[in-house]
Amino acid sequence: MKLWNYIPIAAIMLFFSCSKGALTIEPENRTIPGDYYNSFQEIQQAVIGGYVDLRRALLANYAWTMYGEVRAGDLQAVVSFQDMVAGQHLTGDNRYLAQVTDWGYFYDVIKDANDLLEIVARADDEALNPYRRNLFKGEALALKSIAYFYLARIWGSVPSAEKNNFGKSLTNEEAVTQSALFAAEAKSLLPWLLLNDDGIESVALTAVRFNKTAITMLLAQEQLWLGKGQEAYDLLTGTFTADTADSLSGFGVSNGIDRRIEIPQSPLSGSVLRMPLERLDAIYPQGDARRTSMFNISAGTNVATLIIKDASLLELLPKREINLLLAEAAWKAGFLEEAKTYLITAAIGATEDYSALSEDAFGEALLQERQRILVGTGQRFFDLIRFDKVSSYIPEFTQADVDKGAAWWPLSAGSMKSNGLGQNSFWSNP
Amino acid sequence: MNLLPKPAGRILFFLLLFLGADVTLLAQDSLKVDSMILSNRSGLENVLQGSVAGLRIKSWSGTPGAQATLNFRGLSLNPTDHSTMPLILINGVPVLASPSNVTGINPLGYYSPEQIDRIEIIKDIDQLAAFGVQAPNGALNIIMKEGQTGSIHVRGSAFAGVNFLQNMDYRKDAFYNFNTLARREVYGNGGFINEESVMVDGAGDYGSYLFGLSNHQDQGIIKNTGFGTQSLFLNAKYNITNRFSAHFYNNMSLANRNGRYAGEFNRMLPLPVISDEGFFMDKNRNVGFVSSMGLTYQFGSGFKAGSVAGISYEGASRDVYTPSNVLDGNIYASSAAYKRQLITVNTTISYLHDFSDALHLDMTLGNEIRSTDDRLTSVNGERNMENGGSDFVKVVTGYNANQTNAMSDHEKEKLVSFYGIWKWKYKKDLDINVVLRTDGSSLYENKWALYPALGIHYDLKNGLNIPVKVNASIGKTGVLSRPEVYGGALDAYGEYYGGNYLGVGLLYPAFAGAKSVGVTQMDFGLTFAIHSSLNLSVDYFNKTYRNFTYQRYLPNISGIDYEYEAGGAIGLAGVEVSLDARWIQTTRFSWTSNLNFASYRNKVKSLPDEIENTSLAYLGALSKGDAVTSLVANKSQQPVIIGNSDPKAFGGFTNTLRYGNVSAAFTLTYAWGADILAESFSSRYYADRTDNVFPLKNAETPYYLTSEDATGRTVYQGIRTIEDGSFLRLSKAVVSYHLNSIAKKLGQLSDLEVFVRGDNLLTLSRYSGINPEENITGSRMHDLSYTGTPLPSSVALGLKLVF
Repeated sequence: MKLWNYIPIAAIMLFFSCSKGALTIEPENRTIPGDYYNSFQEIQQAVIGGYVDLRRALLANYAWTMYGEVRAGDLQAVVSFQDMVAGQHLTGDNRYLAQVTDWGYFYDVIKDANDLLEIVARADDEALNPYRRNLFKGEALALKSIAYFYLARIWGSVPSAEKNNFGKSLTNEEAVTQSALFAAEAKSLLPWLLLNDDGIESVALTAVRFNKTAITMLLAQEQLWLGKGQEAYDLLTGTFTADTADSLSGFGVSNGIDRRIEIPQSPLSGSVLRMPLERLDAIYPQGDARRTSMFNISAGTNVATLIIKDASLLELLPKREINLLLAEAAWKAGFLEEAKTYLITAAIGATEDYSALSEDAFGEALLQERQRILVGTGQRFFDLIRFDKVSSYIPEFTQADVDKGAAWWPLSAGSMKSNGLGQNSFWSNP
Repeated sequence: MNLLPKPAGRILFFLLLFLGADVTLLAQDSLKVDSMILSNRSGLENVLQGSVAGLRIKSWSGTPGAQATLNFRGLSLNPTDHSTMPLILINGVPVLASPSNVTGINPLGYYSPEQIDRIEIIKDIDQLAAFGVQAPNGALNIIMKEGQTGSIHVRGSAFAGVNFLQNMDYRKDAFYNFNTLARREVYGNGGFINEESVMVDGAGDYGSYLFGLSNHQDQGIIKNTGFGTQSLFLNAKYNITNRFSAHFYNNMSLANRNGRYAGEFNRMLPLPVISDEGFFMDKNRNVGFVSSMGLTYQFGSGFKAGSVAGISYEGASRDVYTPSNVLDGNIYASSAAYKRQLITVNTTISYLHDFSDALHLDMTLGNEIRSTDDRLTSVNGERNMENGGSDFVKVVTGYNANQTNAMSDHEKEKLVSFYGIWKWKYKKDLDINVVLRTDGSSLYENKWALYPALGIHYDLKNGLNIPVKVNASIGKTGVLSRPEVYGGALDAYGEYYGGNYLGVGLLYPAFAGAKSVGVTQMDFGLTFAIHSSLNLSVDYFNKTYRNFTYQRYLPNISGIDYEYEAGGAIGLAGVEVSLDARWIQTTRFSWTSNLNFASYRNKVKSLPDEIENTSLAYLGALSKGDAVTSLVANKSQQPVIIGNSDPKAFGGFTNTLRYGNVSAAFTLTYAWGADILAESFSSRYYADRTDNVFPLKNAETPYYLTSEDATGRTVYQGIRTIEDGSFLRLSKAVVSYHLNSIAKKLGQLSDLEVFVRGDNLLTLSRYSGINPEENITGSRMHDLSYTGTPLPSSVALGLKLVF
């Protein structure tokens, strides 16, 4: 064979050796986004990524209760900076407190959700059947909604992280309105009960993922925050009917191992959350049946420990809040009698008789029952803001302080960096 | 030429104008190893130390088998980056040359200096451009000896000697926390060093052959440690026909190094003496081989075709066991294996054309395929003695899954290149080299980059009768930028719902702009023979590195921590001067010298905007024009530049004298003007404990560094001294005697030589530590990371025989 005969072979080899395909290597030790998310399992991993970031946002340094009951002075968490939060020294020099003051994890949830929406839109029918497509899209919207809602309730005015207005500062009302839009869309997509991987309805799975009950409650909360009582009433009464009573489910984040080791794996274990006995007596008077069902009161100590029924789950939107929301929506919509019925149903075990409540006294009673029933879910301080009662219940603040922004958390240095934001007028000179 | 000091510039000008006449051009582009002073330590870089202008070889570690750092006109943003190392080729084939990060054993120790014929120095861009992104910082081509004419020759050499420590007075004892007793436990004189090699060779019409083996053992000066390597090698050429020939080279090596806990990894030795290390184990084992096969076919019409395939492989493994008496009741074991392979295929077609008697063209078109595949696996475990375990257990197995960490990592990379080299030659006077190379890399979305270069070499002797040769070249090449970032990456976030579901999200987005660092280089050189025996060469170069890949930290509303970006530019320029002299050259007596000197300046040309929000934030205190190698610290919470870790000048001075059968040679190496930042061993504080004010300690500087510990707390680290790292070192010296009369009497013996050789015999320096070159980064850190063990001296007696 003459040497020239080798030339075509050599030319073919060269051609293939320099093609783009030959120069592309599939890395074995890293996963590249462009090639991933081809099956429902992989897309579901992106959904779970959003929940894990939500868990980080709420669990890192017990943030959910710092934003809620600890700041309101109801619960104490056994951590070094608890007193700083309870004393409203939120700009104190403590790195754990600084982390709680940072909103980064909530924006991580929003980024996850926006990425997920793109992934779902790109996915073909083989990867996602209509149920899963609706579920994942609904979960993405619900995650975005809850993240914005937390941001708005904690920091007041927050920047948007949406593509069309990235970085734009949203007023509190705009941020919650945006949240409510996402929640409304999610509500139409999410099922009452989720199917597990075998296609069977699973109550346990539904409890740790967004579902129709949870998104309805979230949307109602957002509408009530915006003062839209009638809309909330219509939503709740239209959704929670006798037909749907068997399909209700709360929502919470499932605890577990996090890649970031500073995130507690089981934040509800032990006796981390406790209440001074004096406070317990003030909130749950003697005779209130919930004292012993919700708290362990050890003899000889002045402390009551919150009973955690399921330490694997941090409840965010418990089913027991439905009647409270209905009560509030009915009250705001002008149906006081109906509101009282819902409140009485919700407050089983209370010593008070709510059947004779006047219009003026209803708000205070509702606020108190929310405090009692929802303890541990991190909502107390948000309720004080929504009911405009911060200066009444937080002795450190006057109404003038609240008007300057004292109810909102200060911005962390990390949150202001490169975001063009400044500290609000109260925290810049507390 | 603005980098040249003024007096030197005047002298140069004077020499250019008035010297001339008898010209012999001796460009120092190839070093004959047999005529160099070899080293008692393993590693080819020790042979080259002080011999090449601009090749900086820092003997930073005294641990035998460790690689001295090599830098040849190289600059990067990271002072510990191996990317500034020159490309190492063996017979023109690229090989793995950087130490594996598992064992740290030096691959340049796999080759016995006895088997090397010469080392070609490649530094100008019109030669480097042909290697593309493989050689942004120079190249060293190691040409192995071939068999010499005759049926068989046998060559043997051996030496044996001892290591010893100088300069170990207690005031320099910072290494050992000023703990003299502990130091005596760890370091000791008298560690044995020996090497033996045998080679057999021959050549004839069929081609040539050379094969042999070598053994090198070095116990160093750290007790109960040692390094050894053995290699087998073959270099053969076979003429299949008178036009078609094949070339085979193989080198198979084993290397091992044993370490110890105290003195190598933990120098904060407890008083009064260290714990018993009887059960400590640190075994490092490497297997390295290089194999190449070249085929060359010479056509009749000036065409030549050739193809060379090479495989360079290294398997490195390390097994560590730390007993409970060292770790306060815990035992620890780990095992790691790192396998690296490099496969290259280089195919060329050359054509030599004579346009006329005066004008010739030598053209080469080539294709090179390079593929690397690196795999790391490791496992380690720790357990408390209370939960079982024994000092005697020296394996990881037996630990349960919760106590054991396992890791696997894998990196592959492909490079496909096409290149053309056009060498125009006009008479004897003018050479013009044009090089075009295009590299396609798997690391980037946009695969291809083009690297052109042009070089002009003009000999003024024939036309103008001036004994000067001038060369100038300009061109571009690149540095492969890591990691592979163009695809973006996903990250596992955590487990959910009883550990049944894994959360995944974006770590960083795809970076379509990923590309290699662009390197523009310009060279200008003059070589002139002042006299038939005195040759001076002066080279100037200027390099600019552009488009480094770095992380840009994003505002925290972005939902991801960073994205990649490319930017920034740094410059390196310098002058290299080399003076070769044959002062006396008679049959009875000869004296030759080489003095070389290099002076470099590096500087920042541009840095990314808002650099504090990037992974280059550590350069934030530098502005345009500042040295990249600046040492930066804080003073009263403001960053200030307090020195430069790069020397103002460095080089070597070698003299070789021969009188009859006796010859003597020595090499001095020197560097001057480098600053060493010595961190304090005692002033180290948490910022929150000192109200964010650095508490100044008596007799220390007002400068401090800040860092964060594992929990995010800010730590202030005081700086004890800023020192002058200048030194002058008698690096190598040898005296040898050729016993010709005995050789003649023994008939078969054609040469017999005995020699005495010393390494690192004397160092003059004001540095307060042991070795002014011991800090890789130019800073002696409080935990002595990136600082080497003390460099020993050694003296050996040896013998060379040729049959």
